[in-house]
Formats: sequence, C-alpha cells, structure tokens
Amino acid sequence: MSIDDATTAANDRLADRDDMIVCVDVDKFYGDFQALKGVTATIKEGEVAVVCGPSGSGKSTWIRCINRLEVHQGGDIVVDGIELTNDLRNIEKIRSEVGMVFQQFNLFPHLTVLDNITLAPIWVRKKPRAEAEGMARALLDRVGIPEQAEKFPGQLSGGQQQRVAIARSLAMEPRVMLFDEPTSALDPEMIKEVLDVMKELARSGITMMVVTHEMGFAREVADRIMFMEGGEIVEVGTPEHFFTNPTEDRTKLFLSQIL
Amino acid sequence: MASTAPASTHHERPPLYRDVTVVKWVVQIIALLLTLGALWFLANQAGDNLKASNVPTDYDFLSVNPGIDLSSGIDTDPDTGGRALWVGMVNTLRMAIAGILVATVIGVLIGLSRLSNNWLLKKLGTVFVETLRNVPLLVQILFYGAVFASLDRVSLDVGPVNGWFHVSNKGLSMPRVHIADGFYQWMIVIGIGLFAANLLRKRRIAQQDLSGEETYPILSAFGLVVIFGALGWFIHPIFGFVGNIFDGLSSVVSAVPEGALQILVALLSVGTSVYWIRGFLNSRRTPAGLAKLTDDDYFRMIFAGVGGVLGAVFFLVLWPGLSSWMINSGSDLFEVLGNKFGNGRSGRPVDVALPDIVQVGKFPNYGPSGLNFSIGFAAVFFGVVFYTSAFIAEIVRGGILAVPKGQTEAAAALGLRRSTALRRVIIPQAARVMLPPLGNQYLNLTKNTSLAIAVGYSDIVQVGQTVYNQTGKTLPVVSIWMFFYLSCSLSISVIVNFFNVRMRIVER
Repeated sequence: MSIDDATTAANDRLADRDDMIVCVDVDKFYGDFQALKGVTATIKEGEVAVVCGPSGSGKSTWIRCINRLEVHQGGDIVVDGIELTNDLRNIEKIRSEVGMVFQQFNLFPHLTVLDNITLAPIWVRKKPRAEAEGMARALLDRVGIPEQAEKFPGQLSGGQQQRVAIARSLAMEPRVMLFDEPTSALDPEMIKEVLDVMKELARSGITMMVVTHEMGFAREVADRIMFMEGGEIVEVGTPEHFFTNPTEDRTKLFLSQIL
Repeated sequence: MASTAPASTHHERPPLYRDVTVVKWVVQIIALLLTLGALWFLANQAGDNLKASNVPTDYDFLSVNPGIDLSSGIDTDPDTGGRALWVGMVNTLRMAIAGILVATVIGVLIGLSRLSNNWLLKKLGTVFVETLRNVPLLVQILFYGAVFASLDRVSLDVGPVNGWFHVSNKGLSMPRVHIADGFYQWMIVIGIGLFAANLLRKRRIAQQDLSGEETYPILSAFGLVVIFGALGWFIHPIFGFVGNIFDGLSSVVSAVPEGALQILVALLSVGTSVYWIRGFLNSRRTPAGLAKLTDDDYFRMIFAGVGGVLGAVFFLVLWPGLSSWMINSGSDLFEVLGNKFGNGRSGRPVDVALPDIVQVGKFPNYGPSGLNFSIGFAAVFFGVVFYTSAFIAEIVRGGILAVPKGQTEAAAALGLRRSTALRRVIIPQAARVMLPPLGNQYLNLTKNTSLAIAVGYSDIVQVGQTVYNQTGKTLPVVSIWMFFYLSCSLSISVIVNFFNVRMRIVER
C-alpha cells in the first residue's frame, strides 16, 4: 500500500466525521526560539491521533497550545467550532470540553482521590455533591481502582495516580482528551495498567490526542500517527504505513532508534 | 524443607547491660539527674553568693505599693508591684495581638502584590520589603516616635474637641465604643444568633451539596447574626434574669471557704491529667489488646502527670495572691457576672464617647472619654507591624511560589477559574509551606515589642525596669520577664503547631 493509499484509507473512514481540532499554520516562540513552525493538522471527531517524535520536537508544546496552557503567537486553533482567542469565555468553554493528562500526574496532594475528581464538577459544572461523588466512584471503577477513593494521592503508586488523573479529566465529560506523555514517568510494570485504561477509552469513541513514545500502543489503537521534528509535522499516516513503509528519512531514523 | 527457628536465639533475654531498653532508660534517668543536680548546685551557689553580696532575691515587692504611674494601660496607678507588672503584661499582649493581626494582613497583601503582573504594584512591594527589612527595628521605632513627637501640641485653648479624631504630640484620640449597661444581655442574644447561624450554615451547605445551586452559606449565616444583633438591641432586657442565676451561684460559692475552692480546682487539675492519660491509653488500645508503648508514649504520660500535679500545686499555693492582682477587688467571679448581667441593667448595649481634652496635672492631655493611643504605642505598633510585615510578605511570596506550576496548570486544564484555583488548590498548599516560618515571625514580633522601652510605652519590660529601679529587686523582675515571654512564645508555638498538624499532607 502506498502512502497516498494509506492516508486516503484513514481519511475515508473519518471522512464523514466533523472536525474536532483544526490547527492552521500555528506558530509558537519562546523568545527567539521557534518551537512550532506552521503546524497544520485536522483531527476528526472520535479519532485517536498519536503524536511522536524526538524530544524537543515541539509535540508537547503543540498539545499544550490546544487548551491554552501555552499561548500560540501565529495561526488559528479551532476546537469543536470554538476559536481559541484571547476571549476568556472561549478559553473557559474550550477548557471545559478538553481534558488533559500530564506526564507528572499533577494530582492535588491535599485532597483525597474522591475530592480530586469531584473538585471541577462541583465548582465548574455546579453539580450536586452526591451526584458528583456517584460519578467519581463510577469513574474509579472504570479505571480499575474503586477501593482507593478515600486515600490521598501520596498513598498511591504512580500507575494508580495516573489512572486517578485520567478519571479526574473524564469527570468533566470532555469531548476531547489530550495526553502529554502519560506513561513517561512510570515504572515499566505500571505502564501497562495506564495503557489498558487508555485503550478502553480509545474504543469508547472519545477524541484523543496522545503524545507518547509507546509505539505498541500507537500501532494498536491509533487512527493516525503524526511524526514531528524541529517544530514541524514531518509525516502523517496510518499505523501500517508509518511502521512498515515510512517515506521520510527522518522518520526512518527515528523509528530505527526507538524500535 | 520445614523452617525451624534457631532455638538458641529465641526469647533469650540479654544481660541487663546489653538490653537496649534498659540501657536507654538508665542513661536518660542519669542524664536527667545530672542536669537537675547541676542546676540545683548552680542555683544554690548563686543564692549563697547573692546573699553574701546582699542582692535581694525575694518577691515581696509584688504586694508593696511601687509608687509609680504608668503611661498607659488598664490601670495607670497600680496599688502593688504585682499589679503594675500585670498592667505591663496586658499592654505587651495588646501590642502583640494587634500587631500580629495587622502585620499578617499587610504582609499578605504586599506578598501578593509582589507576585502580581502589575508592574507598579510589583515594584512598590519590592521597595516596601527591601526598605523595611534592612533598617534595624529600633531605628524604625525611634523614627516613628520622633515623627509623632513633632506633631502639634495639645492645648486647652482648642477647647473640648467635638470632632471624631484628634492627632497631636500626645498621640491619637478617637471615639471610644464602650460597653454600656445592656451589653452582656445583648451578647446572650448574639450568642443564640451565632448558634442559629451555625445551624443555618450547615443546612445551607447540605442544600448546596444536594442541588448544586449556590446557596451562600457563609453570607446567609452572617446575615442571620446581624438580624439577631439588631433584634437584640431592643429585646435584650428580657435576659436580665441571667444576673439572678449568677447572684445565686455567687452566694453558693461564698458559702464555701476559699480553701475548699482551691482544693476543688487542684483536684480538677489532677483529674484532668488522669483523664488525659486514660484517654491516651484507650487510643493505644487495639483489638489485640494494648499496643506496645514507645518511650515517647511513656514520656507523654509522665509529663501529663507532672503537669497535673504542678497545676494542683499552683492553685493550692499561688492562686490567692495571683487572683487578687488580676481582678483587684474583693468580689468573686460569679458576683462580678451577677452584677454585669443584672436585672437593673437595661440601657443601650454599647455607647460611643467622643474624645476630649482636659487638664491633667500641669499639662493638657486627652481625657479618658475617648479611645487614646499614646505616641509610644503608635511608634512601637507601626515599627513592629511594618518590620514584621516585610518578612511576612516574603514568606507569602515564597509559599505561593513553592506550589509546583503543574498544580496551576492542572487546575486550569480542568476549567477552574483563577480565583477558584487559588482558593481550592494553591492557597491550601501554600499555607502548608508558609505556616512554620509565619509562626517564627509571630514569635519575633511578640519579643520585639520589648523595644517599647525606647519610646516609653509601658510594656512589661519598661514597667519591670521602673519597678526594679524603685525596689532594687532586679533578679526577681528579670525572672518574671523571662517566664512571661516564655509563656507567650510557647502559647504561639502551640497554636501554630495545631494548624500545622491539621494542614499536613497525608503521604502514606
């Protein structure tokens, strides 16, 4: 299968879906250093997009621009039809539709697991506490740690903490989930439990954008893989195309180093 | 293969000199005895030497009229030396408490302004901190004293001051809101209001949890207290009967001889410590019987026991003298309360008196009707408040910066507004970092009030110095100073540690 065929196949399957994240010519500078150079990509509703590339290639910067943890200086970002501008109302709207999971979990250490998960539903969505707690327990069940609800984050293992972080994001019922290297800070034996939760999520039909080095995960669940280097998207394709038949030399080099 | 415990090492007690528990206790007891012995020897030597050189070490001056006037306080013409020192202690405590409250507010504001994105606020905060913490406190106090002393003089020509505020080189005089006849009955109404407001607050919180609607629990509780306060302003005389209850209690108490009362309170002190030890032992009880107590646990129980006994000794031996300095009247507590809540007192709860200028001795000064702050008080107050708030500002800044950036990002990614994130995520974690150094600053502020001596404000040190200049009893006065500051500092430490423990993050 040629590249064009592979890309067309992926596009066909998602062709009739709505656009969820649209980035056009996104630029980002840190002082003189340009971290993103005209990144252009469209992610469809329900798509699982994996972003990979060497460190410093701008993949984390890009994903953090999408919910405005970083401010992009050029180009447009539109999430679910809402343009990301300086308008506070738009930023709030986008943030309540986009969940994010961080490399360092970033759980709130002074709150119990249950309070971590119910904080945003109660204070942002104004949900009754009983309802929010019911949902939190259901989510803990879904990520496989229903018995840890009353503990504090410091009492959990890394894998359990990351699963709580995923549950915390899901509690806002987001339409998009962003994962910023969710398994990079975990011990090898804990990576699997987090990836299993993410695979289950991917099958549930939520739109996901995942920055990761876990190529097994990418091969299994990604609809498309985007390879970045030097602040640019170098190559885009389905997993078969990406792993069996990459076109760009830089992609080949990267794959030879990590596989 | 079956595992068999090596029989030779099982349950064989080591000889006493190799038993860790025995050795540890013996060493500790020997160390304690040596320390006590050394202290006793030194005290004895000092006592002998002082006696030989005729330095007085007795506390007689506490019950003798010192013949001094104090510049400010609850009693400017004390009857006894003890009473004079008590007035000084109250002045120091007033200064310390007011200073801690105001310094905290200013410090937090300056600390936050140094973190703000507003360039002007940030620079102003920096200038405030860098100026005030780099000039010695004594210099600052003398500076404020000099500034206030250069204000206009008071003169009777101005006539009675009918305005609200008057500033001069005698200090600041402003309207005094004072407790009037019906105050204590009014307080009963407000107390009931506070109780009802607490119930309302809990109900509102439960409602909010149930429906998710914002029900403003704090605001509505506050409103209820205000309503009760307004209502109580008019209906408070109905609580006049409370006075009769206290009168009844008073006659019951006066029927009991004072010695019996002392014994009762002493028994209470011992009883409390026994009760505490029992509770402590109960808390160490597990389903499998009493858990093994550590040395620490034994020390706690020993200290609780010693504390109870010392308390009993205090009430049996020292209390009668002490209580007469503080209340300074022949009446007992219940008689005082009976009088304050009495039926006849049905006037307005609080009254306002305007400042006035009167002739005191040779010079005109502010009369007792207004609320007067001497320039001594103002100089020390501004000195310790500004100086300490500069340090508190840095602690606040450091505490907030110590919260990892990821916490702010996680809160933002969840859609929390900046204010909610601050309240629910950042401040609870920053407070944990800020509390211990904040406690240090409170201790520093309290101890620094002793610089009041530089501008003649009657704090405990200034009063004490006057007393020993009159009586020559230097060492006894110094010992009282040390005991007083130690008690203050330990109280502050206990309070700060209480919050420290409550804020601790559970790790495992």
